[in-house]
Amino acid sequence: MNKDQGIAQLRNELRGWLAENVPYDWRERQSGDDVPGFLASQREWLTKLVAGGYATPHWPKEWPGGGRLLAEQVAIFEEIARADAPRMSLFFVSLYHAAMTLMECGTEEQKARHLPAILKGEIWCQGFSEPNAGSDLASLRCKAERRGDHYVVTGQKTWSTLGQFADWCLLLVRTNSSGPKQAGITFLLLDMKSKGVECRPIKQITGDEEFAEIFLDSVEIPVENRVGAENEGWRVAQATLSSERGLTAVELTERLARSLWRLVGLVTAGGQDVALLDDEARRQIVDIASRIEGLRALISSLTVRRIAGMEVVGDASIIKLGYARILRDFTALGLRLQGMSAMRDMNYVLGAGYETSNWVFDFMNSYQWNIAGGSNEIQRNIVSERVLMMPREKLA
Amino acid sequence: MTSTNMAGEAIEPEELRDGAARLLADKVDRRAAWSEVQTFQAVADLYSEMASLGWFMLTVPTRNGGLGQSFVALAPIYEEMGRALSPVRISQTMAVVDVLAVDGGADAAALLGRIAEGTARVIVLEGDGDLSAQTVPEACHATTALVLPSDADAQVLLIDLAQPGATLDNVLTWDRSRRYGDVRLSNVVSVALSLTAGEASVLVQGHDDLAMAWDSVGGGRQALDEVVQYMGTRQQFNRPIGSFQALKHRAADLKVKLEIARALAEHATVAFSARTDGWSTLAGQARLLAVDAFRTIAEESIQFHGGIGFTWEHDAHIFLKRALMNEMLGGPPEQIRDRVASGIISKALLRE
Repeated sequence: MNKDQGIAQLRNELRGWLAENVPYDWRERQSGDDVPGFLASQREWLTKLVAGGYATPHWPKEWPGGGRLLAEQVAIFEEIARADAPRMSLFFVSLYHAAMTLMECGTEEQKARHLPAILKGEIWCQGFSEPNAGSDLASLRCKAERRGDHYVVTGQKTWSTLGQFADWCLLLVRTNSSGPKQAGITFLLLDMKSKGVECRPIKQITGDEEFAEIFLDSVEIPVENRVGAENEGWRVAQATLSSERGLTAVELTERLARSLWRLVGLVTAGGQDVALLDDEARRQIVDIASRIEGLRALISSLTVRRIAGMEVVGDASIIKLGYARILRDFTALGLRLQGMSAMRDMNYVLGAGYETSNWVFDFMNSYQWNIAGGSNEIQRNIVSERVLMMPREKLA
Repeated sequence: MTSTNMAGEAIEPEELRDGAARLLADKVDRRAAWSEVQTFQAVADLYSEMASLGWFMLTVPTRNGGLGQSFVALAPIYEEMGRALSPVRISQTMAVVDVLAVDGGADAAALLGRIAEGTARVIVLEGDGDLSAQTVPEACHATTALVLPSDADAQVLLIDLAQPGATLDNVLTWDRSRRYGDVRLSNVVSVALSLTAGEASVLVQGHDDLAMAWDSVGGGRQALDEVVQYMGTRQQFNRPIGSFQALKHRAADLKVKLEIARALAEHATVAFSARTDGWSTLAGQARLLAVDAFRTIAEESIQFHGGIGFTWEHDAHIFLKRALMNEMLGGPPEQIRDRVASGIISKALLRE
């Protein structure tokens, strides 16, 4: 069996599995759901995916469901999106960022302690960004001092996705301020139940609380929880940041491509009456559909390049800029087409990513893509300087 | 992406691209568009060069003396023609090849043979009886017209343009990178093919959509490359203007737009070549994104160049005028949107 046949077979099996295992009513159930309900649904979905062997295709083959090729991982994300299954938002940092960091840089003890626990639902968050270290992450100032067999950490972290539910945190701290800013950073694993940790959810413009800020006041972290050597945390952080390998973009664009029916449904009485569609709306739908189709084609060709190990600097930035713009225009169009009733619609589906069926929520939420994970402005610097090879700006 | 066909050996598209780029760099004088319209002779010579490289044979079936390639072989040539602002576009002739190959009759075979050997050049017209058509690219260079009657069930007609009833007048347009002409037919003799207008027009449309998409992707690439290079050398305030974020961020956005358009053109090319489901809609969508990207880049290029970009001596306006024409040919964008809408909407309603 060659590679393509293998992937076709994987897709077939997964389609069958999804047909049986995606809770068909999850959108209804999670529409307007409260936080405990959201957590329970996410746990239930993780348990199913782990049992099915589809949660950890990117883990080494010693693990159940592990050892999949990147092409197979892409296929799994596509099929999950096409089946309109829930996103795995609560466990994404655990399964990708935490697990991949530990696999690559962690000690045997750290791996033994956390990897099996992650499969059982241990929740992780990321403690990288700070109020004064966003786009310029390496300038972070959260300070750690070595005292005997532990570090004492004081500082503030922010934009930790779902940090309020996390058991553990991937923490970047400053252990040296004398040299270049990247050279004095250390990578620690923080138990969120430690004394001196306070975590507050951040209410976003959507009203949702998907991020949190973490305050650390003389928090003691055992030295055994350090990943990599002291002052070499920046390198470890690169492993964390490269762990998802573009799979989120694959998944979200598939979801977007498949959600066109929501726009069309909106102006055709749920598809009952296509004659209701006026010229203006029809043409705007054609435009956004074409851009989504183009983005999908671009992701697919760049994914082929990545699978072949020929990824080029800037590929990810081009995709992120494209997705951010199209998502905003898509949700803005939905909002405009629905009109005033959209402004009164307060229901939305938790865990549905960027298509919660609430146009105002989705439009507001789309800004997240312009800012998080390297703002549009940072991405444009990368594309102009490293793809178009335009001159760098002189820094003041 | 390789161009394979049951009958022909696959030709590596990148080899075709290199050959096209070399020929066009050598033979196209895009500055001819500065002073006056391209001369008849320059365009006729370019046609001969292209024929001698075998471009007209590429997609002609092997049984008709061609190379049996799919559209995949033409895509890099069309893209290079866009980059070079080629005054010749062979796409009308090659769209007709697709129709004739399906038709299979004796008249179709005869014309295919002449196209393959480089002696026939075809334009596509729509209408009935004594029709006239305006602003047809390269009309004065055509030997033959393929006419699509307004009744979709009527047979497609071939008309020899050398006969007395056919009048071809060269016309000047704002796009001087190509030649255009008005066509009038009166009491002409025609030959009916077996294919109907409905069957033929969808093929012509798909080919034309993709040819225009690639020409525009090529034009957009070249215009962006040139203006990015200019911004890297033009100094103001003791630094290259390309170092200013106010400019480079806009250039980055243009690059994103272009890459998305190019990816869809590639995807639609594969779909059209294999005639997979939905190819016709995809081809139209690829055209929409590409002409829009080209026009946006060409507009921004004028602004990025500043005063020099507003002068006749600079090439920026040649790109812009060609981009405006690319957006206009085949109907205004609204018409193209309306044409592809039903394909998109029915797919969406099926939640595919």
